[in-house]
Amino acid sequence: MTQEKIIIDVGDGAAIPSKKDMGLFSAWRISFCGAIVLLIYLVISRPDPYLKIVKFLPDGIIVTFQVTFFSIGLALIIGLITGLGRISRNRIANAIASTYIEVIRGIPLLVQLFYIYYALGRFVRVPDMVAAVIAMSVCYGAYMGEVFRAGIESIDKGQTEAARSLGFNRTQTMFYVILPQAWRTILPPVGNEFIALLKDTSLVSILAVADLLRRGREFAAESFAYFETYTIIALIYLLITLLLSKLVSIMEDRLNYYGKF
Amino acid sequence: MENSEPIIRIENVTKRFGHLKAVDNVSLTIKTGEKVVIIGPSGSGKSTLLRTINRLEEITSGRILVDGMDIMDRATDINRVRMEVGMVFQNFNLFPHKTALQNLTMAPVKLKKIPRQEAEKNALRLLKKVNIAEKADVYPTQLSGGQQQRVAIARALAMNPKIMLFDEPTSALDPEMIGEVLDVMKTLALEGMTMIVVTHEMGFAREVADRVIFMDHGAVVEEGTPEHFFKNPTHDRTKLFLSQIL
Repeated sequence: MTQEKIIIDVGDGAAIPSKKDMGLFSAWRISFCGAIVLLIYLVISRPDPYLKIVKFLPDGIIVTFQVTFFSIGLALIIGLITGLGRISRNRIANAIASTYIEVIRGIPLLVQLFYIYYALGRFVRVPDMVAAVIAMSVCYGAYMGEVFRAGIESIDKGQTEAARSLGFNRTQTMFYVILPQAWRTILPPVGNEFIALLKDTSLVSILAVADLLRRGREFAAESFAYFETYTIIALIYLLITLLLSKLVSIMEDRLNYYGKF
Repeated sequence: MENSEPIIRIENVTKRFGHLKAVDNVSLTIKTGEKVVIIGPSGSGKSTLLRTINRLEEITSGRILVDGMDIMDRATDINRVRMEVGMVFQNFNLFPHKTALQNLTMAPVKLKKIPRQEAEKNALRLLKKVNIAEKADVYPTQLSGGQQQRVAIARALAMNPKIMLFDEPTSALDPEMIGEVLDVMKTLALEGMTMIVVTHEMGFAREVADRVIFMDHGAVVEEGTPEHFFKNPTHDRTKLFLSQIL
């Protein structure tokens, strides 16, 4: 059985290094090494603002990662439910899922963040971090839903027929046969979304969440070293993003290497 | 015939795809243990008819009884019917993320709640029967087409079905692999399995079938024993078809 490898291109995310530009002077290496060299050079040559800045930021990095991980986890769950809703024969489920995606995609993330933050605030008092995670996952869940839908639809119809003919019902077919196979198509774009989400968490600094960017803003406000602080912030975001995209591409290779089906 | 009870009753079944009548008012009864081969030109509705029997295609009108159960009845649990009706597809449709053995054990373990050990023992026995026991732990993509199809037959048998449906089981195979699949099917026939086979393999039809059915434009044109069918076909369309493919 030949199964074409289907690539879901969701755009937007960070560029995941492709096999082709893996040479010594690949864009990835130039950016990564350049960023590290620049960071070290700045810290050593002018420790006064730069080393202080670097020491001030780790808390923020941790918060950024926390928001990213919780959001991606929740977004995956919302995405799966939305994706299943989109392919459901149930008209109501289908309409809800489609409308959700349509609405979310039509509103800028920053506006959503404000909206969910203050809307939630009217009803329940939740920690800023929780509000941020909910807002991020509601937004990314919509994009993830499309990834899941495409992944599920990429599986050959014969698989469903084979499972149904054995006596599996629709739900069992989905969870035992379709999703385990769709996963490999879904994973690369999910990796992309993961990186995009990490970058977008910088927006939550607006909501009194002490992430990397907010910590930087705090430091800059006290020291007036705006240029220096944002230089470091940019470098750190770049390094994290580059590392993650590397991780995703390694993961992708693994997937292709192991079950070649 | 060891038993003359009809196990499948197809009554005035029509299946439409939009304006096209893929199956046009077909009635058939198939007895327990009977081997029926359906032949006909492509687009004649033979695969569609086969697929209506386990409701992979929903019929537009008519009635189908499988082992006494009306498959279109809302009260019928179609999944129960399907557990009794094994199906083998043209493109094998093995589960690529499972090994050959796991392909066989999955349905019995999940659906019939058979203990894993017992299911594996039974699966190995079936893989042996289709002459592929040595590939038990191999993934489908590492198997040839003929091997995949034999695993697919074993997978269907693992549910211990009363009826086996074959939808052009050798059409996607390289010529040198057709024999090994047909051999497995012949063994199955000898053991008394009720079989409905859509195929272009006339040699198989002649050797194994109790009854050959010729379909064209969604309707049954002619049916009879292989003897009658290949030596003295009555209808011109049957004669034409046979002259083209023999």
